Amino acid sequence: MNVKRIDHVGIAVKDLEAAVHTYERNFDLKADSSRGGDVPAFAIHNAFLQIGGTDLELFQPATAEGPVARFVQERGEGLYMLSIEVDDLANAISELRSLGARVGDPVNGLAFVSMKATHGVNLQLVQRG
Amino acid sequence: MSIAATHIDHIVISSNDSAATAQIFAEHFGLEIKRTMSRPGTGAHLEFAKLQEVVLEFAGPGEVKPHDGVTAKLGGVVLAVEDIHATIAAIRAAGFPIGDPHPAVQPGALFTGMKGGTNGVPFGFIQYNAIPIPEPSP
Repeated sequence: MNVKRIDHVGIAVKDLEAAVHTYERNFDLKADSSRGGDVPAFAIHNAFLQIGGTDLELFQPATAEGPVARFVQERGEGLYMLSIEVDDLANAISELRSLGARVGDPVNGLAFVSMKATHGVNLQLVQRG
Repeated sequence: MSIAATHIDHIVISSNDSAATAQIFAEHFGLEIKRTMSRPGTGAHLEFAKLQEVVLEFAGPGEVKPHDGVTAKLGGVVLAVEDIHATIAAIRAAGFPIGDPHPAVQPGALFTGMKGGTNGVPFGFIQYNAIPIPEPSP
């Protein structure tokens, strides 16, 4: 597998608009107006803030159900996941599965790796370009 | 307020067995562990891998205690800044608590952490080439 870079760090928040305002004010970052919004496949609303070659993704649960909603309910706001860019998503999934790791099928060009394969870190694979 | 952050410098992955977690990331994702060390003062065991400009820091206890399984989680994000003193002043002026800078494990660098984090995220700030690097003893 060719891991290229850390694509983004996912942060679960309770109130997306307030969180974006906090990061813009505290860290002088700007939300990317060309990305973000509703993501029904993952039951979230999200926004991206670029810092160097990596993004911070802020997301708020869009429903009371789903993994992000459960995370926020159980643990509160905080670091949720790491997204790493691979050059070939299908190949990366195949390779991880051959190593015995469980990996979900791609959704919206992303695939989630079972936390058993990372000792509990929520990790997502993404292919760009 | 401008903290003049240039990029995410490193992301901390906290584990009850950081060597094992670094190893599973290496095996599954082909990461190369570039450096292993004990943190001066605390004895914490650290392993480092780098993906372009971002370092993954696997941090755990110096002595692994008996456990029922290795568990890890994202522990924090450290931003590289151009002037850590200006960053601290800007954050304090905005009314947020942040510690004084102290030498980082990276030679010549200063580090500080934002107390309480932001939206539950522990953030740190690091400035490289901030202090002279000690000459090695002959």
